[in-house]
Amino acid sequence: MSTELSPSSDYLVSASDLSVIKQGKTILDAVSLDIAKHDFITLIGPNGAGKTILLRHLLKLDTPHSGHVRHQPNLKIGYVPQRVSIDPSLPISVQRFLTVNNSLPAEQLEKLAEETKIMHLLSRPLAVLSGGELQRVLLTRALASEPNLLILDEPAQNLDVNGQLQFYTMIEEIYESRKLSVLMVSHDLHLVMSSTRKVVCLYHHICCSGAPESVARDPEFISIFGDEMAKLMAVYPHTHSHDHDHSHDHGEDSQ
Amino acid sequence: MSVHILLTTVALALVAGPLGCFVVWRRMAYFGDGLAHSALLGVAFGMIIGVSHQIGMVVIAVIFALSLLWLRAKRVLATDTLLGILAHAALSLGVVAMALLGAGDVEVHDYLLGSFDALTPQTAAWIIGGCGVSLGLLMRLWPGLILMTTSEELAHAEGVPIVRYEFVLMVLMGVVVAASIQLVGVLLITSLLIIPASTARLFARTPEMMALGGSAIACLCMVLGLPIAQAYELATGPVIVCVSVISFMLVLIARLASRKA
Repeated sequence: MSTELSPSSDYLVSASDLSVIKQGKTILDAVSLDIAKHDFITLIGPNGAGKTILLRHLLKLDTPHSGHVRHQPNLKIGYVPQRVSIDPSLPISVQRFLTVNNSLPAEQLEKLAEETKIMHLLSRPLAVLSGGELQRVLLTRALASEPNLLILDEPAQNLDVNGQLQFYTMIEEIYESRKLSVLMVSHDLHLVMSSTRKVVCLYHHICCSGAPESVARDPEFISIFGDEMAKLMAVYPHTHSHDHDHSHDHGEDSQ
Repeated sequence: MSVHILLTTVALALVAGPLGCFVVWRRMAYFGDGLAHSALLGVAFGMIIGVSHQIGMVVIAVIFALSLLWLRAKRVLATDTLLGILAHAALSLGVVAMALLGAGDVEVHDYLLGSFDALTPQTAAWIIGGCGVSLGLLMRLWPGLILMTTSEELAHAEGVPIVRYEFVLMVLMGVVVAASIQLVGVLLITSLLIIPASTARLFARTPEMMALGGSAIACLCMVLGLPIAQAYELATGPVIVCVSVISFMLVLIARLASRKA
């Protein structure tokens, strides 16, 4: 089996039958996942379900016990890690961080910085940024290589609700304007619903996948996430399509 | 102070700056202490095999680093626990081996606190060479190392071989510990790395400024400290550390004063 997909393949990344066992525990059990051009896939699953491990394999950072991951030859991945804590003892500006260990020309950096709204942050020390600012900076770095696939691991985990909404809106805009593919681990499904074409629910194996509304009706999804989440997901597209005050119909679900 | 001692000092200080930065950024201070503890074992090892002390120490440092990386990958015990086990095992083995090999108390004392009586021009040449290679390697790997210091995950995803890079840092620390142990001594070697870099952090705005600042301050402290130690017949390590602590305090006070103004 070749390790690359053909250049004409519709898929950027194709993982088949990935199995990973760590210390006797099955982390991934025959997981298959394809990422096509201009896909927007949201990967969900409870803590410890193997989401980050799956991402690491899709990035080819780890080798699975069985199964394989194939990349399209001209695949370029931009990666936004889960959490980055910058030690204040490291004096480094945002601009320097964005250009270290790559060859990003200044004019391209400025364009990118405008796209991700971080122009005003470029000269600031990296260690003093707020959570939302830091995520935008990481996103900028991920975009520097002109990727055709963006992989994000719970990118908005440490943001407040407003920050999450803004960040997801930015991802959607980039997804539309750059015509790239997005694979994102996220628990904030109600926030990313409008752009998510496909939800994959992982709990060591792929429990269910498909459009958000159909996943929400899946019995296995309900048994893992409970009724509340399922209702929230099922309700969102409905309220989104109407332009009325919808606080009465899912006010309880959204807490 | 003779020329070969002066050159050795400058070479050590040049490496101590950037390497000390990584010790501060990546919290490797305890690792440095652990390595220093293993130095006596390295000396004993060198005596048994019949090679120079420095080579013995570097070999033991490499074994030390590999053992740590291997044990850490098992993810059973915390890194500081592992370091505690390895460091004290190496120190005890070293002291026992030195005693069995017939090294006197005086020699052990010199290794603990430093002295430059024993520094021959040949040894000096080896140390300067080792420092040159270390410095070249650090400069080559610098961008990847900086990225890895901001986020290992990100660096790994962008293709930096992070385990290999970390191993290189560990071995370089082993080289610097081996090279400077005669001057500064086992007990205080880590401070030679940490204090100049920390002093430079007080005014640095870029990683490079901190590294170069660290080198300059380390250089100043050693060049000032050595003649003082010589003049008053004191152990060199404690004198150098005293000078560097004073420089840290002075820069800190200047910094606080300028912020108020």
